[in-house]
Amino acid sequence: MQVALNNVTVRFGPVTAVDNVSLGIAPGEIHALVGENGAGKSTLMNALFGLVSLASGSISVDGAPCRWTLPQEAIARGLGMVHQHFMLQEHMTVLENIVLCAEPLGRFGFVDFARARARLDEIARTHGVKVDHDRLVGRLSVGERQAVEILKVLYREAELLILDEPTAVLTPQEKDRLFATLRSFRAAGKAIVLITHKLDEVMEIADRVSVMRAGHLVASSSLEDTSKEEIARGIVGGELPAPRTRRVQEPGAVVLAVDEIVVARRGRDVGPLSFQLRAGEIVGIAGVSGNGQSELVRALTGLAPAVSGSIALCGKDIVAFDVEARRRQGMSYIPEDRQRMGLALGASVSENAGAGHDDRNAFAAGPFLKHGAMADFARSLIERYRIRVAGPRAAAATMSGGNKQKLVVGRELSRNSPLVIAENPTWGVDIGAIDFIHGELMRMRDEGHAILLVSTELDEVIALSDRILVMYDGAIAGDVSGGEASRDRVGALMTSKSADALGKVA
Amino acid sequence: MSNAKTISREALPWIFTILWIAAIILALLLFVGAPVGEALSGFWNGAFGGRRHAYLMATLSRSALIVGMAVSVMLSFRAGLFNIGGEGQLVAGGLTAALVAVLLPGPPMLVLAVAIASAMLAGALWALLAGILQLFMGVPLLVGSLLLNYPIRYIASYLVAHPFRDVQSGMVQSHLVPQETWLAYFPGTRLDMGILFTAVAAAFALVYSYWTVHGYHTRLNGLSPDFARTVGLPVRKLTLQTLALSGAIAGLVGAIAVFGIHHRYIDGMLVQPLYAWTGIIAVLLVGMVPWAVPISGFFFAAVQTGAAGMERAAGVPKEIALVVQAVIILFVASRVSGALSSSRGDGDGHA
Repeated sequence: MQVALNNVTVRFGPVTAVDNVSLGIAPGEIHALVGENGAGKSTLMNALFGLVSLASGSISVDGAPCRWTLPQEAIARGLGMVHQHFMLQEHMTVLENIVLCAEPLGRFGFVDFARARARLDEIARTHGVKVDHDRLVGRLSVGERQAVEILKVLYREAELLILDEPTAVLTPQEKDRLFATLRSFRAAGKAIVLITHKLDEVMEIADRVSVMRAGHLVASSSLEDTSKEEIARGIVGGELPAPRTRRVQEPGAVVLAVDEIVVARRGRDVGPLSFQLRAGEIVGIAGVSGNGQSELVRALTGLAPAVSGSIALCGKDIVAFDVEARRRQGMSYIPEDRQRMGLALGASVSENAGAGHDDRNAFAAGPFLKHGAMADFARSLIERYRIRVAGPRAAAATMSGGNKQKLVVGRELSRNSPLVIAENPTWGVDIGAIDFIHGELMRMRDEGHAILLVSTELDEVIALSDRILVMYDGAIAGDVSGGEASRDRVGALMTSKSADALGKVA
Repeated sequence: MSNAKTISREALPWIFTILWIAAIILALLLFVGAPVGEALSGFWNGAFGGRRHAYLMATLSRSALIVGMAVSVMLSFRAGLFNIGGEGQLVAGGLTAALVAVLLPGPPMLVLAVAIASAMLAGALWALLAGILQLFMGVPLLVGSLLLNYPIRYIASYLVAHPFRDVQSGMVQSHLVPQETWLAYFPGTRLDMGILFTAVAAAFALVYSYWTVHGYHTRLNGLSPDFARTVGLPVRKLTLQTLALSGAIAGLVGAIAVFGIHHRYIDGMLVQPLYAWTGIIAVLLVGMVPWAVPISGFFFAAVQTGAAGMERAAGVPKEIALVVQAVIILFVASRVSGALSSSRGDGDGHA
């Protein structure tokens, strides 16, 4: 299916999210769409899919102009989209999710599940995508859920697949399987659009790459005619940041001492875990998502109680402390989920920036708020962290993902606490913001703060950490010092029993 | 040019809304054969007119209670606490106020002050009970606060039907509170000073919501409880404090009804007019935006007294008057709540 976007412009109020973009998508081709957060990639694809309306321009499919007002019309025309945040009903089975809204009806109007199963078996044979039909989606791993999303699209006989950052949540092995599936689609003559931040993946699989920046299409060429460096320059709109250099420094006193801590988890408890974190070092916690990292973080921050064990922060046992007391004792926390935990999206930037600050007097006179002081502080964060937002009074929800994350990072790091816990601090954030956040964490380390970096991005952990602890199945599988850390070594520890841990996906 | 365009774009939906309301009311009135002109003037007169604005005073008197309850509800709702037990807190306040004033000897002003303070305390404690049930027993606030409406209602009924009944009156009601404690009328009107208490409560709620640290913290909790927990706000403490505050204002409203209007506790006097529930709708109508809550409360009071006026003036059956009332509220709600929630960022911008 040949799809063409001609001079497409999308506006949200006064903001032009996509500005006069023309793009062709050809069958049998994997077309990578790259760009910073807020560059307009997702908006462009949402426009193609009928989720947002065009201010001007047109879309044509196989030469025939199309104008749909509902995604259903786009689906009927053979378009399929796998969103970054999965759209699945957790309490229903895989099969029920797949046929939802496209149920094959038998006589008397009952759903003909047998026919659906036969169709899915055929898809499994052709493309090798298979998930047990009768399991509840709520019990599937992230990779399996993604396979369900892809099956949903295939089941509707899509000829054009749009995948919005499909690899952000996958382990390396799951990613390889996904790519094998995509290659099979390409061979079958389907058109594929891959929205991604990861240039290595573009180089690995794409046939054609289009770069967007600030709503414009800045480059679009076949992969042979460009290079990784050129694409990266197109994304950031200038020269690339220099690779990070690590200042050698001896770690100082112990800031965080975790001793034999056990945290409850459905199924099997996490732990016992023991480790120490010293001033002026970054300790990375690597591991495939779901191996006990989030339980550990919740126990450290006080969001969940520890079953047993002790946690000492700056020499004081904090196990009995609540979140506020721990933060006062010297802890800052950059949560993984900025939408829910990192920010109150309905509140303004200024209100978000001021939340959880220890020095209550800075923003308050008696029981009253000092709105001026809060706005000034927010403005200083906006400036220092180069957050793109209308101003301190704008709602936090109006920022793009990367800018939201910068606000969270800015708020937490500006507390200057001895310990910083950063949980996937660059998840779903563009190259420029990643570099900036990494730089800030490194600066904090150089200034003598202790940083616990919990991340499922192996590159991030290796690039930043002085020491790496690898978590596997609720325990620390290995302790690797940063200097000698190699991808393979950490990767092997991450997947000690990889065969059965990763499930039967794609 | 663009300005005129914006105005017409904003005004047009309102014009359509009003036309729809007019059309439906017209159809209803023709259906029951009521004189249309008299019915409409009766509605207007009933809400804002009367000799020496007597009906406007009735509307204001009713607003005093509805706005008070709306303010109480708003404080809870903005903090993310779905306290729908305003009725119980209101009854607790009214009952306590009446009993204290009847039983406590002493100088009238002191009795009045103590009675109002006890009413607020009673309302606060009744609200806290719902909070304690949620935090320590795991009963959802929505359920707990609602269910707590019933025991207090029947406790009140029992107390004024048996131990504290004014037997001579032949009604299920308490004795009159001492006449010296009655709230005075504004000179030349039948409007009591109770509305001043509501005004103070509303002013307090506005200042609290927009300019205090506590209001800011509870709002963050209301917008995202996970966020509030993550940044270390004392969520449990905030919950209990907010509920107490909300309940205290409901209790105050109960006291106003006793000292300003009924001068005793009459069984059902706070429950039947649905003050608490009207307050909840008034808050939801304007999407919990604080400055709009008093206006919304006044609007509800006006529609209610207006419908009663229509009934009196044009002989429109009570049921139809109530349908008219519902139609107006429904259509205005469809416009207002949409408009306020879509501009939520602006509306709350200076918060």
